[in-house]
Amino acid sequence: MAELTAAQIDNTVLDTLAAPSKTYWGIVGLLGVGVMIGLMCWGYQIVVGIGVGGQNNPVAWGTYLINFVFWVGIAHSGTLISAILYLFRAGWRNPIARAAETMTVFAVCTAGLFPLIHVGRVWVVYYMLPYPNQRTLWPNFQSPLVFDVVAISTYLTVSAMFWYTGMLPDLAIIRDRATGNRKKIFSILCLGWSGRLEQWRHYTRIYLFFAALATPLVISVHSVVSWDFALGVIPGWHSTVFAPYFVAGAIHSGLAMVVTLMIPLRKLFKYEKIITMGVLENVAKTIVFTGLIVGYAYGVEYFLAWYSGNSVEQESFMWRAVGEYKIEFWIMVICNSIVPLLFFIKKIRTSIPWLLIICIMVNIGMWYERFVIIAGSVAHDFIPHAWGYYAPTLTEFGIMLGAFCLFFFLFILFVKHMPSISMTEMKEHLHAGGNDAG
Amino acid sequence: MPDKQYVIGLYKEEDNAVAAIKSLKGSPFDLFEVHSPVPAEKINAELKKSKSKVGYFTLCGGIIGFITGFLLAIFTATRWSLIVSGKPVVGFVPFFIVGFEFTILFGVLGNILGFLVMSRMPARLAGKPYDERCSGEYFGVVATCDYGREEKLSALFTKNGADDIKVEKNKN
Repeated sequence: MAELTAAQIDNTVLDTLAAPSKTYWGIVGLLGVGVMIGLMCWGYQIVVGIGVGGQNNPVAWGTYLINFVFWVGIAHSGTLISAILYLFRAGWRNPIARAAETMTVFAVCTAGLFPLIHVGRVWVVYYMLPYPNQRTLWPNFQSPLVFDVVAISTYLTVSAMFWYTGMLPDLAIIRDRATGNRKKIFSILCLGWSGRLEQWRHYTRIYLFFAALATPLVISVHSVVSWDFALGVIPGWHSTVFAPYFVAGAIHSGLAMVVTLMIPLRKLFKYEKIITMGVLENVAKTIVFTGLIVGYAYGVEYFLAWYSGNSVEQESFMWRAVGEYKIEFWIMVICNSIVPLLFFIKKIRTSIPWLLIICIMVNIGMWYERFVIIAGSVAHDFIPHAWGYYAPTLTEFGIMLGAFCLFFFLFILFVKHMPSISMTEMKEHLHAGGNDAG
Repeated sequence: MPDKQYVIGLYKEEDNAVAAIKSLKGSPFDLFEVHSPVPAEKINAELKKSKSKVGYFTLCGGIIGFITGFLLAIFTATRWSLIVSGKPVVGFVPFFIVGFEFTILFGVLGNILGFLVMSRMPARLAGKPYDERCSGEYFGVVATCDYGREEKLSALFTKNGADDIKVEKNKN
């Protein structure tokens, strides 16, 4: 374990904020092109109509809702790392907390676009908000879809505030080492933070309250997302296991995305001494745990279908494994619950290429999980003559590409212009007696 | 206080900063402020600082949020008055979810408001005694003295192991 000093931590992180190279702007430009493709596809859909997507009877919820659930899921591990692990005093969270929180905020922003895209007539999207429309009708809070609007808006607000508050001392560090306009900008951004005793006294308290409030919130938000489905009577959706199943799946995918982002970041920004192999190994171990919960949930769904004696439910689950979406189903099972078991082998979980490959596979698997649940269930529900097949159209693929590019575009802009590692938390850890990242 | 001068003692070790604060107590100089790069538990203990009361803002926010969320859900449901499967229009179980989300939202807003109010932020640093190294790795003990007595105050800081000392003119 390499010993670190406070100055080394500051210097390593501040070095990453140096003027970006042409390659960096090239990547930003490329991602920007991806975002433009997505916007153009969305614009095309607005002009022509929602019919340009593949959603139709019986599958009215296609990739837009699949991506919505996927990105909300990605957002969850940020709060797990920053809030839940903070309450557990897990020191290994410190080097990755900031990037995970950033990922959370941008993932929720990306997720939040999909309901707007999905409703088609985006200009009347305010119908979802608790505000009376032209006919003085209010949204009725008897639907989980309306709960979801409240839950996601709350989650975005809370995670953004948690993220920004946590950055205040770091922004002051940058201000104190910057000159010219940069100093002026960071002076405004850090709200005049000076590390006064009084500031720290209130800051440590609110940070604790933030963590305490965000922990039940993170569990509630994906539970509410799961009730969008579980409160419908569709076979494959109507299940009491959905809330914990979705929460575990969300954390599973989020942790995999954290590793997917951390490995290139660690290499490019020379963070090897801060984001140690021990930190990545701990994330890998947590992925094994969440992978086992997800695998258990898959098994329980089949058990419930068999044990219920409900022939529709049994047919639906049999069809998942051997029907038109069998490839998607088996990608889901293998990538989410079998491949992560490789992390039981120390050699694999301490190998950077293996970590990256497995985590990317988990991300793919989790996207397909949402596909199988959302599209697969309604494609094959009660009445055989209403069964159907859904495949995304080019427009949907374009919008999906745009969403992925938007997420990475925002993330890559952030890590080069803001502190991607919490210098303060790292120094706090050192001050408390730890001599490494945790 | 235009007749006063600020002197900042910079310490790499929190223990030395605590020793300086102790020495200041029995001296003719006044402790003005302490700046630190991380939360300083020992200094807090020395100055007998109690726990922050910011939690009351959070609590108030949470209570207001719960009531708001619950009432909003009840209000909107009564605008429609739709009876589904003979169930009551005002369903307390589903509305608890809305109440819960608003509790967290308003609790967090109260938390932030409390922090800004109690920490007196946003603030301007210009004209205040501050050393930029305090955001790096130094604990800065700021004390005031009469003009011409800076050297004595500096000597007190040096005696307690100050790594550097900075005298700042009072711009007030």
